[in-house]
Amino acid sequence: MKKHTIIALFAIAFGFAGQANAADMVFTSWGGTTQDAQKEYADSFTENTKINVVQDGPTDYGKLKAMIESGNVTWDVVDVEGDYAVQAGKAGLLEKLDFTIIDKSKLDPRFVTDYSVGSFYYSFVVGCNKDAVDTCPKTWADLFDTTKFPGKRTFYKWSAPGVIEAALLADGVPAEKLYPLDLDRAFKKLDTIKADIIWWDSGAQSQQLLASAEAPYGSFWNGRLTALALTGVTAETSWANNITAADSLVVPKGTKNKEAAMKFIAHATSAESQTNFAAATGYAPINLDSPALMDPDTRNSLPDKKAEGQVNADMNYWAEHRDEIGKRWYAWQAK
Amino acid sequence: MVMSATTDGGQRTLRRDGSFGYVAPGLLLIVFFFVVPVLMLLMRSVLEPAPGLQNYVELLGSTTYLRVFMNTFIVAGLVTVVSVLIGYPVAWLLAIMPDRWSRLVLAIIILSMWTNLLARTYAWMVLLQRTGVINKTLLSLGIIDKPLSLVNNLVGVTIGMTYIMLPFVILPLIGVLKSIDPAILRAAALCGANKRQCFARVLLPLSLPGLAAGALMVFVMSLGYYVTPALLGGTSNMMLAELVAQFVQSLVNWGMGGAAALVLLIVTLVLYAIQLKFFNPNRAR
Amino acid sequence: MLLDFERLAGLRPFLIGLTVVVCLFLILPIVFIAALSFGSSQWLIFPPPSWTFKWYQTLFSDSRWLYSALTSLKIAAIVTVLSIVLGFLAALGLNRGSFMGREALRALFLTPMILPVVVLAVALYALFLQLGLAGTTIAFIVAHLLIALPFSIISIGNALEGFDKSIEDAAILCGASPWEARLRVTVPAVSHGIFAAAIFSFLASWDEVVLAIFMASPTLQTLPVKIWATLRQDLTPVIAAASTILIAFTILLMVLAALFRKGRKV
Repeated sequence: MKKHTIIALFAIAFGFAGQANAADMVFTSWGGTTQDAQKEYADSFTENTKINVVQDGPTDYGKLKAMIESGNVTWDVVDVEGDYAVQAGKAGLLEKLDFTIIDKSKLDPRFVTDYSVGSFYYSFVVGCNKDAVDTCPKTWADLFDTTKFPGKRTFYKWSAPGVIEAALLADGVPAEKLYPLDLDRAFKKLDTIKADIIWWDSGAQSQQLLASAEAPYGSFWNGRLTALALTGVTAETSWANNITAADSLVVPKGTKNKEAAMKFIAHATSAESQTNFAAATGYAPINLDSPALMDPDTRNSLPDKKAEGQVNADMNYWAEHRDEIGKRWYAWQAK
Repeated sequence: MVMSATTDGGQRTLRRDGSFGYVAPGLLLIVFFFVVPVLMLLMRSVLEPAPGLQNYVELLGSTTYLRVFMNTFIVAGLVTVVSVLIGYPVAWLLAIMPDRWSRLVLAIIILSMWTNLLARTYAWMVLLQRTGVINKTLLSLGIIDKPLSLVNNLVGVTIGMTYIMLPFVILPLIGVLKSIDPAILRAAALCGANKRQCFARVLLPLSLPGLAAGALMVFVMSLGYYVTPALLGGTSNMMLAELVAQFVQSLVNWGMGGAAALVLLIVTLVLYAIQLKFFNPNRAR
Repeated sequence: MLLDFERLAGLRPFLIGLTVVVCLFLILPIVFIAALSFGSSQWLIFPPPSWTFKWYQTLFSDSRWLYSALTSLKIAAIVTVLSIVLGFLAALGLNRGSFMGREALRALFLTPMILPVVVLAVALYALFLQLGLAGTTIAFIVAHLLIALPFSIISIGNALEGFDKSIEDAAILCGASPWEARLRVTVPAVSHGIFAAAIFSFLASWDEVVLAIFMASPTLQTLPVKIWATLRQDLTPVIAAASTILIAFTILLMVLAALFRKGRKV
């Protein structure tokens, strides 16, 4: 009661209160070229349903948790990493998805849980700016070899599937014996190149680092290299032991636009949306009908055509150990 | 009304002439939206997750957080020293150089001050990279033979913050130096003091209060900086303000966030009190 | 001789040299950002392969940038007005009042200026979450008003210091009511202080990043928040274009301020 009196007083005093359009919903993703491509299906969603989609970003798990706990949920659909989706679903932070609205029979079952469906999937690959160096690293072992490949290299800054797997593969761990991860061994391997790492914290930054030759090679999301090549940079992608991971779409618990959120996810995961998205970004679609709709060139450049030597990051392992690995990861980074 | 303006020496009482009422609206704002929320935050630091001082024990007992404290003081100290060393001679020249030149320099200083903070920081991010303009220029001049690491480390933070803080050293110092009577220096010279002595024994001591006030202000401001260290520093250069934001925004740990905020607050207020006590230009009144 | 420009002798080249270097240091990022905004490289390669206006086209064709600029403008304008009104009243009280604890009160009023913004931001964020005001215009205005007010109190307070109150009293003797006298005699007399207060208050809000990051919501972002978010996820030269426009705006403001000062002298 008191709270409302105060708000009412404010509204009178200033003549207006904070206003949010009821027909709007908010979609949050990671920004850059990826979100630009997601904006396309958001736009067609708005055309079909007249529900306006506000784009926000970047995804921030702390912010997400804060808004769920405070009950002030401003994000309705969020693009998160797959392992986070599994963990957050178990922790009760997410709404159960409504599979009467979302048709899950058409979606890649690897990425479907009660609380999340895939958004797209991608590979961590070895990327290299061919104009800046004489020879490009081809494997994770190359990327960790500072004598053969001197200078700076760039890796994903945040604790997530990808870098630790790459370190272990570079150290000679066979792909099928990666899990459970040998963290001691991984950090020891990472120690050997730590001084030569420039961290990228957003996809756009990884592109900028490679294009400007700030770091002429490193580990990248494959789609960012595809996008980079389209801007005229000679970015080379090596798929050896590419490490796949997926993003998921989730709905935070307590959203005020639950129905709109479900409809949005249904639209975002439709064969057509996924096809267009994949064509624009180089990431792989999670709708099983999409590949048939693509032209052969695009289809062949996607991670699911690079299955040889491919390593699937274990989302369940990560969901379980995410916090513990994270703690160690950031302490190691700060050293 | 008329009386109160002329008699200031009499006994002071609350609301004697109603002028307290003028202060009231601003005071209400400060109390409700400044004093109360800050106190509430500090309460949370001893109440969450359970009543007690465990947040402070964790904060002051862990090497990770101690490193953050160290970093904060190192950066603030370094920025202050560099700003003073560069700022003092510039203020000196500005105080005595012909007006039309000093006006141009002042315009540049003020323009840099008023330029959007993020714009300036963004510029430094790009300028200082390994393939940035500065490294490219130094390489082509043959001064260095491989690119220097100027960003995502202490160097980057120091350059970016010195850029922001320099005006706060220079501007107040100009006034201080201008108020020194040149005759005193002439007298010193007549008494046989050489240049070095004139500077060390006369000019510097006379300008020291202004210099110290400016340096203290820069130090205090640097302690609480968030944006520039976050964008120009590396993963091992985290400062206290960033830690507070991280606790609250990314870790949703209000107890620790409040505790870290209190540490920052106390350091700042103590230094502010020192400044008010020793360097307040109004204290004479 | 150390304070005589003509007789600095050997020191003069040193001081002039250093000042020139400092000026270059101060001007470098500003010129660079303007140059960068016309460069064609999306990846901030400088010097760029060619020159272009396309970042400005992107900037102006994206309604979110314009919208956030308008949001900033609206909030800064409201903050400026409130800051002047509250600041004038508070300065008047602090300047003329003879109540207990006046100096302590002055210190309290100036504290938000000296306190690390991040502490204030976090504290206000918690409060507004509880009040349900997080992400509203009101939250923005209150937050920015807190840091703008000290500037108003200082500027207007300084101006009041130099104003002879007996002029106001004379007006009252001539039959004006106290408030009439204040509005028609005192306010014009301290207008330069009010003008300075307006500029500082406006800039304090317009340029503010940290509070704004905590107060923002997806639908309500000021320009600095938009730049911050773009910096964190895109790094595109559109940021340089937006910054260049801000710099131009700042120069305009400085020229206006200089003209205003000149006008007052005549």
